[in-house]
Amino acid sequence: MIELKKVSFRYGSDSGSESGSEDGRAQKEASLTDVSLSVRDGEFILLTGPSGCGKTTVLRLINGLIPQFYPGEVTGEIRIDGENTAGRELYDLAPAVGTVFQNPRTQFYNVDTTGELAFGCENRGMPEEEIYSRIDATVSRFRIESLMDRSIFRLSDGEKQKIACASVDVSGPGIILLDEPSANLDHGATLALREMILRWRAEGKTIVAAEHRIAYLWDLIDRAVILRDGRIVKELSGAECDGITEGELTALGLRSRTMEDPADIPLPSFRDGDEPILLRDLRFAYPGTKKAVVGIREMKLAAGEITAVVGQNGAGKTTFLNCLCGLEGRCGGTLEMKGKRYDRRARRKLCFMVMQDTGNQLFTESALDEVLISLPKEEPEPEKRAKELLALLDLGDFAPRHPQSLSGGQKQRLAIACALASGRKILLFDEPTSGLDHGHMKETAALFEKLRNMGTTLLVVTHDSELIRACCTRKTVVSKYEPGAGYPGDGRRGKG
Amino acid sequence: MSAQNAYSSKAAQDERRSFLDPRTKLALTATLALFVLGSLGGERMEPVKTVLSALPFLLLLVEREWKRFFRGCLMLGIGYGLLALMPHLPRALGFFALMCGGILTRFVVTVVMGEYLVASTSVSEFISGMERLRMPAAVTIPMSVMFRLFPTIGAEWKSIRRAMGMRGIAFGGGRAGEMLEYRLVPMMTSSVRIGEELSASALTRGLGGPVKRTNICKIGFRAQDWILLGLCLAVFALWILGLFGLGVSV
Amino acid sequence: MNQNETKLRGRDLINVGIYAAIYFVILMAVAMLGMIPIFLPLLSVLVPILGGIPFMLFLTKVKKPGMVFIMAMIMGIMMLLTGMGPWPLLTCAVAGALAELCLKSGNYRSAKKSVLAYGLFSLWIFGNYLPLFTDYEGYFAQRESYGQAYIDAVSKLMPLWMAPVLLAACFVCGILGGLLGRALLKKHFEKAGIA
Repeated sequence: MIELKKVSFRYGSDSGSESGSEDGRAQKEASLTDVSLSVRDGEFILLTGPSGCGKTTVLRLINGLIPQFYPGEVTGEIRIDGENTAGRELYDLAPAVGTVFQNPRTQFYNVDTTGELAFGCENRGMPEEEIYSRIDATVSRFRIESLMDRSIFRLSDGEKQKIACASVDVSGPGIILLDEPSANLDHGATLALREMILRWRAEGKTIVAAEHRIAYLWDLIDRAVILRDGRIVKELSGAECDGITEGELTALGLRSRTMEDPADIPLPSFRDGDEPILLRDLRFAYPGTKKAVVGIREMKLAAGEITAVVGQNGAGKTTFLNCLCGLEGRCGGTLEMKGKRYDRRARRKLCFMVMQDTGNQLFTESALDEVLISLPKEEPEPEKRAKELLALLDLGDFAPRHPQSLSGGQKQRLAIACALASGRKILLFDEPTSGLDHGHMKETAALFEKLRNMGTTLLVVTHDSELIRACCTRKTVVSKYEPGAGYPGDGRRGKG
Repeated sequence: MSAQNAYSSKAAQDERRSFLDPRTKLALTATLALFVLGSLGGERMEPVKTVLSALPFLLLLVEREWKRFFRGCLMLGIGYGLLALMPHLPRALGFFALMCGGILTRFVVTVVMGEYLVASTSVSEFISGMERLRMPAAVTIPMSVMFRLFPTIGAEWKSIRRAMGMRGIAFGGGRAGEMLEYRLVPMMTSSVRIGEELSASALTRGLGGPVKRTNICKIGFRAQDWILLGLCLAVFALWILGLFGLGVSV
Repeated sequence: MNQNETKLRGRDLINVGIYAAIYFVILMAVAMLGMIPIFLPLLSVLVPILGGIPFMLFLTKVKKPGMVFIMAMIMGIMMLLTGMGPWPLLTCAVAGALAELCLKSGNYRSAKKSVLAYGLFSLWIFGNYLPLFTDYEGYFAQRESYGQAYIDAVSKLMPLWMAPVLLAACFVCGILGGLLGRALLKKHFEKAGIA
């Protein structure tokens, strides 16, 4: 039983920054005003709404991270199983509430999977024998035998999220919070996550999920609570959820309720009449291993189009992009476009990748400087050109802002401005819409169209079928490379 | 996915049990670092050092870390090769070879030991070992976070270096300060963010509570631990005897 | 969080770990340079200056006594594990305690005191040079395998009178590093929202 009575919250000045794709300055927007919510035992509630609406903040209030970890001013009352949480330590709440976080790469304390599963129970001082039997029970219920006793650095994001769910399960809390757990997952891994949630639901756990990608759990929830600007604006009962149309969801700023496998979207990888980009002999294997992660003998891409690169978590899509940009020193090969041939070094001047952690590719102290250092030296009026580019990407007002203080979407656009400044012809994107709400996803799609109309070629690695539907014009599938099984463009699927 | 037999974490932990206790590994690392890298005792301890130097390589073999073993051997080989070559080289080059060789032969051993320590010890084993050494949580928790973050910091550093390469930002000699700033600042920003997310997750799972932690990993001294700890003690004893001029010639 | 609370919590300890990791990585990167003789005395310059960047960021999270001292002791333990011997443990304890006292006198809020505290904290680095001066002959006897040329180069760079100079350098460069750290704090980290 969770009760929030007229809860308002404002983040304090020295609280931790918002994580992931929520606005870097979202601290103010994500504060809550007068939120009342009561969740019965065994109920499954979905919290959703546009980015910065405060759904993550609600979860943090329930698991005690607010105010213990993110200090700030809380008014109102929060009760878990009848007890007021005010003044309770995080370790007091830990046995009752478990949380699965958004980013699979940053929620593990241990470096091995089994240790991670045991962690919560170890912290409570549970006897070893009991921990063993709890782990074994969870492992067999979730059928994750193959993931046990492995290094977490060798797991795909989908597998990591399974371990994160399992480690919550081992400590056996009655309340389970899910903070955008599917943001980095592919279609298959999202279905696996759904299976785990189904099991929890059958076992009578109380579940509160905050999500943008609502499709995979829309038919499971008892209630949907929609927030906007820190207030609850609408509550939908189970029956109302079933009856709602896509149009109504869009009007509420929500994403689609239908799940679609990106692999099923019918798009050609290459069409007659397309101007070809030919990739040859792109091969990559991790040092010391024989198995190639990327192995392309020949692949044809369409220039001037938006190509979706889809495939499972861990299929090597990101590595493929790295090879294509010439960032992988061990991967040579050539790219041919308009009769010109580019080797690895030349590709670094032709392609630009907008990484998943966009923050890692911005270095200076202002957006303007960032573009300025990307401009070629012979540029006659660098300042003017840089401002033009910023304006083109709707960043005109942000020129003096520190790049790290921008929101996820703004960082992406700034990186694109830099790419255009340095005259790149091919832009690559690694999961540009993970964790974005409907509105921001649409904006991204519109931006991609705009870039395409400027004559740029775009390659987008994504699991987001709504984005593919919204803007992609070509599609190529990257699967786990097996010698002999072929690779996208390796003759079989590539030539459309 | 089809497991014929139900998974048993207890059996798996037994099977995965590290050859050495984490405390033994720490003692060995410190001893090696002091005597091989720090050359404590000087010339007189030379034979002891040779024995000590072989240890981490043997341990890598025991843990079946072939790749690390061969890489270590290669580096060590290069080091000794340079030392052997040195007398036949012209003066300036000889000095260089001597220095590189001298550094390699001492460093590689300690680096291999460090690699062994990190690769073969899980966070759980490390915490458990530190606790049995009566280290307070105030030291154990930060140190376990540290070891957890090292690979992450490395990965972030690499990702930033790549990003700079892609952005085509190259720095001439005069801009070393700027280059450092551009690299260090994003590296620290993202490491701190990751660290924060890590700690949020750890705290919601009850880290830092007042109860005494348990550990599912199996640690404890076995025959091999006693032998190696004895060896460490013997090395120290020899050194101390030497200090008082009671040098037993080894 | 209660401002008067002085007990260290899980979050504080994890913070110590995060910043200790970054500081140590920078320290090790610089220490690799120390293998070239000319850089050996320069360590007392470079480590305090570069280390100031993570450390000043760390101090923005320090509101309670003990965190800086723990950080110092961890550096001591890490030095023990990396072959610097037991000396740094001693200097770490002293430097850590001095830095704590300094911060406490500023109630853990004063910006000036935090720069001074980092200067004091940096004194621990001197522990790495101590064996060189306490046992001048012995130190070089131990490094014969580096070759006579290395020894000549180092002993020329490191006469005995260098001891107080190095100690002072640690402190002065610590202050400089603290100022640099504060400058970057204003320039980047505060805007980035992590300070």
